[in-house]
Amino acid sequence: MDIQLKKGFLEILVLASLKNEDSYGYRIIQDVSEIIEISESTLYPILKRLEVQDYVSTYTTEYNSRLRKYYKITKRGLTKIKESESDFNEIKKIYEFILK
Amino acid sequence: MNKYEFLYKLNKNLLSYSVREREEITHYYDELIQDAIDNGETEEEFINRLGSIETIIRTIKKDDTFIDNVKEKKNFELKKVFSITSKVIGYAIYILLVIVIASVAFSFATSGASLFVIGATKLVVGIKNSVSGMSILMYLGNILLGSGLLLLGIYGFIWLVKQSKNKLEKLLEWIQEFFNKRGEEK
Repeated sequence: MDIQLKKGFLEILVLASLKNEDSYGYRIIQDVSEIIEISESTLYPILKRLEVQDYVSTYTTEYNSRLRKYYKITKRGLTKIKESESDFNEIKKIYEFILK
Repeated sequence: MNKYEFLYKLNKNLLSYSVREREEITHYYDELIQDAIDNGETEEEFINRLGSIETIIRTIKKDDTFIDNVKEKKNFELKKVFSITSKVIGYAIYILLVIVIASVAFSFATSGASLFVIGATKLVVGIKNSVSGMSILMYLGNILLGSGLLLLGIYGFIWLVKQSKNKLEKLLEWIQEFFNKRGEEK
């Protein structure tokens, strides 16, 4: 898949993976990897992007005597997912036209 | 390469970043490696899968401009909110002061006017009834004190109008501008 197109999808996919419950780096990669290929080094900038744009908030908790950073989707993040629906509809139309 | 070697090398290559950012990035990779080990993966195999340190740094650096732009925009918005808040508070204090000064001027003017009227009435009635010179003097004092207070109140009003005219015009302009801008944004 085209890198730029993939980048746009990845942000929404990571947000969607946090929709039902808060998650952490390793699990986000596992969840998103089921849909689209994502590397550990690609995820960090995406999480950072989402964090600075206030689409996710973070908190740290202790797990197995070490600290684990959790990501929580914000109201803004949920709105972003809803907004992306119209983008996907447009992309779908474009592909339907291309593949006609 | 084991975890400690990897994190040391990573940290060494992040010197252009702040301590906090460096800690954040190394913690992200430290946590990933630990979670992978807990999940049954081999430390070395997982670290190899992460790719070279150079590639990791390049991927992070690619987003630096974007992150900086978002942070700058946020700071700008925060400054804008702060400037609006301080302006609103400033104007609120100013309006409160205007009200206080206007009330003082009004009470001076009204009490002065009533003292003047009472003094004048008593003087006329006193002259008709041929009251003592002391009383006439007291009524005259009343009239003088009343007119003094009245003049002071009127002067206070004139001073207030002169002083606040420009500022009130500016306030109205600012309110108009603020709502126009909000209308454009919508």
